[in-house]
Amino acid sequence: MKMMMAVGVLAMLSASVMAQADTLDDVKERGVLRVGTEMQFAPFDYLENGQQSGFNKAVFEEVGKALGVEVGFVDLPWASVLPGLEADKYDMVAGPLIITQERMERYRFTAPVAESSVALLTRASDDSIHAPSDIAGKVAGGGKASAQLAALESYVETLDEPVEIREYVDNNQAYADLAARRLDAVANSLPNIAYIAKQRPSLFKVVTPSFGPQSWFAYIGRGGDESASLIDAFNAALAEMREDGRLAQLQETWIGQAMDVPDHPVPAE
Amino acid sequence: MDFSVLTEHAGEIGSGFLMTLWTWIGGVALALAAGLVIAVIQLSAGPWIRGALRCYIEVIRATPFLVQLFLLYYGGPSFGLSLSPMAAGLIGLGLYGSVYFAEIFRTGFTSIPQGQIEAAQMLGLTSRQIVCRVQIPQMLVLILPALVNFTTILGKETPVLSIITVPELTFVLTGVGAETFAYVETLLALCVGYFILAELCSRLGQWLERRASLYLTQGVRTPRTLKPQETAA
Amino acid sequence: MFDPGLLIQSLPLLLAGLWNTVWLSAGGLLAGFVIGVGVCSLKLSERTVLRRLGGAYVSVFRGIPLLIQLLFIYYLLPRLGLDVPAWVAAMAGLALCCGAYLSEILRGGFLTLPPGQVEAARLLGLGGRDILVRIKLPQALRATLPALLNEVILLIKASSLISAVGLAELTRTAQNLAASTFLQLQFYLAAAVLYCVVNISLALLAGRLERRFEAGRA
Repeated sequence: MKMMMAVGVLAMLSASVMAQADTLDDVKERGVLRVGTEMQFAPFDYLENGQQSGFNKAVFEEVGKALGVEVGFVDLPWASVLPGLEADKYDMVAGPLIITQERMERYRFTAPVAESSVALLTRASDDSIHAPSDIAGKVAGGGKASAQLAALESYVETLDEPVEIREYVDNNQAYADLAARRLDAVANSLPNIAYIAKQRPSLFKVVTPSFGPQSWFAYIGRGGDESASLIDAFNAALAEMREDGRLAQLQETWIGQAMDVPDHPVPAE
Repeated sequence: MDFSVLTEHAGEIGSGFLMTLWTWIGGVALALAAGLVIAVIQLSAGPWIRGALRCYIEVIRATPFLVQLFLLYYGGPSFGLSLSPMAAGLIGLGLYGSVYFAEIFRTGFTSIPQGQIEAAQMLGLTSRQIVCRVQIPQMLVLILPALVNFTTILGKETPVLSIITVPELTFVLTGVGAETFAYVETLLALCVGYFILAELCSRLGQWLERRASLYLTQGVRTPRTLKPQETAA
Repeated sequence: MFDPGLLIQSLPLLLAGLWNTVWLSAGGLLAGFVIGVGVCSLKLSERTVLRRLGGAYVSVFRGIPLLIQLLFIYYLLPRLGLDVPAWVAAMAGLALCCGAYLSEILRGGFLTLPPGQVEAARLLGLGGRDILVRIKLPQALRATLPALLNEVILLIKASSLISAVGLAELTRTAQNLAASTFLQLQFYLAAAVLYCVVNISLALLAGRLERRFEAGRA
């Protein structure tokens, strides 16, 4: 028992020592920026011919060049990604994530990299939904505990008829349920569903306009001061990309259109 | 650590716990029944049926439950079989568990010396009587640890149902964790929740084991002699 | 729904996933077997304290789902100052869990041994370890072979959970391919076939062993 307590005290001491470290220094010393992500979030991260592909890889490649380090991605199920960041398994999380007030209190966001307004994906064969309000009285799905689901929930409250909302651990299961007619619509960010509709036009289509508050996609580092210098360095590289048009070009390549993004994290209202 | 997150969501967590318990019991019941049927058919049917069952067992046993559930739930509609999440979950657990239970039952049946069965036949017992009176009670003692083992394994497969949106314990608690960032607290709560379920199961198993071995050591239980006051009433 | 060209193109990736599945499971099984024999000896010990200890081990590692054990090892131990690489976390998780199940299966096997054998071996002058390794273990293994095979296959399938610590094993690879190509059925079926290849070969091997033992006994 005493032994265990001693181990515990040691552990706490070493934890507090670790907390004072500077993540940017660690990254430079290691020569590798470690990034946690999920390879199931096209067009940001996905597999193409067995290789990681997408917007995130392209952006981090540019940033890595600016910082003079390699970038190493770790693929995890989404539920494991944020706990892994907190356990120091990697330095940043790609995702990207929608900037929200609650998340800003917990993590340190980079400047936005894309717009993330929420819209609906429906079956291509479904003639009954032309505008978002047409889902009144139908069944819609969204990612559990996601900002997109929150936007859907507050939107359907403005409709005349109630909408049954199903929550999914994994967005891909929601798309599969849409194809299997268990759902009539899936709410997710426009870049994601636009990509899906483009890949499978015979199965899915996007219903616009988007709804809910204006929101932005960005990457995160651990909260607290230790990652401040890393995120600042990331933002400096990103600012350069924004100004010389590289960011817009990457957005066009991977998301299908260039977007004006703010130069600092702006939470969705 | 801040466990108030758990008390704030106590209602949700409680219903998730009950959902896990219910899918577990339902899945095990289906699997036990199907497993016993499969084992008995295997021992008595002709070579063709035996071969078909063998294939079924090997394929189900060789693939992860997650993959099976996915094929059943998302592949089903392509063949006109559209199941609700709950129905798919229970049927999936039942199919998955049935082959394991069948194998355990088979091991039990074959462990009983052929001589005993011949003796029972000579004594004029019907084949049903032989199964129910001679084979099942004896093999239960041998296979109970394995049955309990697999029942807990099946219980621990129930978190997979969260993927097809069955609101069981893992679904609820990972959701709470993601909403409140209380990953450690919810992880600990998951540990405690599943530990309680598994303990209940193994305690039940130990009790059954004692009962079964008592039954065997005493042989066929001697008829209870009636006490005087009972006859008087 | 199906695209054979893409499937062939993705085959190397799926096979790489399968390889991770196989070597991590094999490591977990070996370590788990040692743990299993140890815990089983504890549970069959004549001393109450040791029996309790063995019982507690089985309760904890059999009771808590593997996924949660893995998350614990990988995400919570670093907070206590003990950082392990992903593959160590994965293999340790598999071994700890598998050890608990194996110990229970072996215990069933040990219990069926007639006590007279051990007494005879003792009279012949064999020590405790010799009795365990040369007399009890081989017979227990034989008696419980089908249950052991069950457990090995369960372990291989349970290894699909190690993706939670960032290792691309077979199921995760198939999921990623399915999500990236929208050919869900194709890649889940492909994963199912690859699991079948490995696990059915194991089952055939065990079947041959079983028949051999039967022949040896007759």
